Order: sequence, then C-alpha cells, then structure tokens
Amino acid sequence: MSIEIEFISSEVLSNRKSDEKIEYILDRVKKNKILVVEESMSALEESKLIEATMSQIKGKFFGIEISTLKNKGLEGIRHRLIRALGGTTGGLTVIGPSKMIRKVKKQPQSISLLAGEQ
Amino acid sequence: MPLRRLFGWFKTVFGKKNIIKLGLYGPPNAGKTTLANKISMDWTGEPVGKVSEIPHETREVQKKERIVVRAGGKKLIMNLLDMPGIATKVDFEEFMEYGLTKEAAQQRAKEATKGVIEAIKWLEHVDTALVVMDSTRDPYTQVNITIIGNLEARDIPIILVANKLDLADANPDAIRDAFPQHHVVEVSALTGKLVDELYEEIAKYAK
Repeated sequence: MSIEIEFISSEVLSNRKSDEKIEYILDRVKKNKILVVEESMSALEESKLIEATMSQIKGKFFGIEISTLKNKGLEGIRHRLIRALGGTTGGLTVIGPSKMIRKVKKQPQSISLLAGEQ
Repeated sequence: MPLRRLFGWFKTVFGKKNIIKLGLYGPPNAGKTTLANKISMDWTGEPVGKVSEIPHETREVQKKERIVVRAGGKKLIMNLLDMPGIATKVDFEEFMEYGLTKEAAQQRAKEATKGVIEAIKWLEHVDTALVVMDSTRDPYTQVNITIIGNLEARDIPIILVANKLDLADANPDAIRDAFPQHHVVEVSALTGKLVDELYEEIAKYAK
C-alpha cells in the first residue's frame, strides 16, 4: 500500500482566509493524503477544522488525525504582528485521514506518526 | 473576545452574576457524565445523564440547572453543562464492536458528529470549564490541547480533572506534566474519591 505525503509551504496558506484554509486542507485529506504543513494552527482554527471535519464525515471518510507543534517563541503581539505582515510564525501541523493514521504520539517538540491502512 | 470582556466588566461593575455556567469538556469516555452525575447527585439528588462504555453516549449537551453548591465558605449557583466528548474522528464501525447493528452504529455516529459541533459551539458560552481527562491515558493529545487552547483564548477559567483515580494504572502526574500552567484536581467520579476537593477548587476558581 502506498501513502502519499504532501509537504505544504506556509506561503500556500498565508493568503487564504481561515475557512479557505480549512477547505484546502480537508479537500486533500479526503483524497487520502497526509499533509505536513509548515505552519501551526491556532486553537481556534483547530476547533473550526474539527467542526468542518464533523460536518463532512460520510461514506469512507471517518475524520482526521491532527497534531501541531507550536513555535512557543513567537506567541503574543510579536506573533500577531508577523502574521499581519504576511510572515510565517513557524511551527508545524500534521494532518491525515483517520483511516490511514494508526497512531500519533505527540511530544512538546516532536510528533511521531504511524501510518498504514487499518 | 473584547465583547465578552466588556460584557463581563459591565456585569462586575453594575451587577453580580448569579449563576455560573460550568461546562464539562473532554474527549469521549473520560468520565464527564459520571462526574456530572456525581456533582448533580451530591447537590440535587438527581442524575444528569446516562453512562455507557460505548463512546459518544452523550450526543447532546445535557443540562442540570440551578445546582446550589456550598464549598470553600461560598454558596455557588451553577448550571451544569455536560458536553458531548470532542473528537477528530467518528467511526461507526467502532460502535459495531460493542454489538450495535450497522444501522444503529451509523445513526449513533451521525448524532455524535452533531454533538461534537454543539460542544465546540458552546465553548464561548461557558463561564468556567472542567476539562475531564482519563488519567490512565496519555493526556498530551491534540483534542485536549485544542480544548484548553480555546478556553485560554477566551479567558475562561479552567480546572483540569484527572479522573479514574480508582484504576490501578492512573497517572495524574502525567496530566500535571503535560499542562503545568493549569491546576489539576485528582478524582474518581465513580467512587466519589476526592470530589469534595474539586468543589473547593470550583469555589476558588469559578467566575
């Protein structure tokens, strides 16, 4: 069984609004891709992503596994300013279809992921 | 949430908020309904909802209104809100492993997805949150991080509840290590062990 992993630059998502970003991610995940995004999502974006995922569970799509690494050094005003100026705030997000991700182990500075058809 | 802060300021200055909306959040099967039942039974003599080993038993927000709690020298009036468990996936086939028919499992999954959405929408309406975790499991999950991050972003007081202390492999210290910025209360909602300490913490932190 082959697994497709797509690495996405933060530039791809930076010009999209929150809803567009979520739609972009879910479209790819529903095509059985595991995404590694060069950006961490905010807690509010993550909850919106979960909401959108729940509303799209149907047929063979049962949901997602997601894990993020935040860049702790860029929280607060500096973080928001960098984003407002179109820069990247670092961090990482790994997202994939729950059917293909057997296990995600998250640590404060690393994510390990075991993928394969369940 | 500037509007929420402004509203809170008006409440503080011009009147006293009488009823606290206490939300029980967490992943499925963390023991939220068992804890809600324990709290409700202790102070009203009536349970809130049904408990099951099958995940997503609570698929709608269950409420118990005007619970009067006396703890820490205070009298609190609370509306208890037992939330559906928040998850990133809902697989009906998992429910069939508990003996449900395919149709019943699919219906349960459909209701569960709506429950997750409802629980998330309620995040901005609770005054104080108990984030309930099963202390036999790894607490450092994205669901727990997302719930806590959302509550923090809204300035909502959080008490982490390390539940299932009655189980031999309970490890509440793992919850303290994962979320050192928050206060952790160890309880067994099933046996009632240390639940009185939780009431003290609610009296101290709820607003």
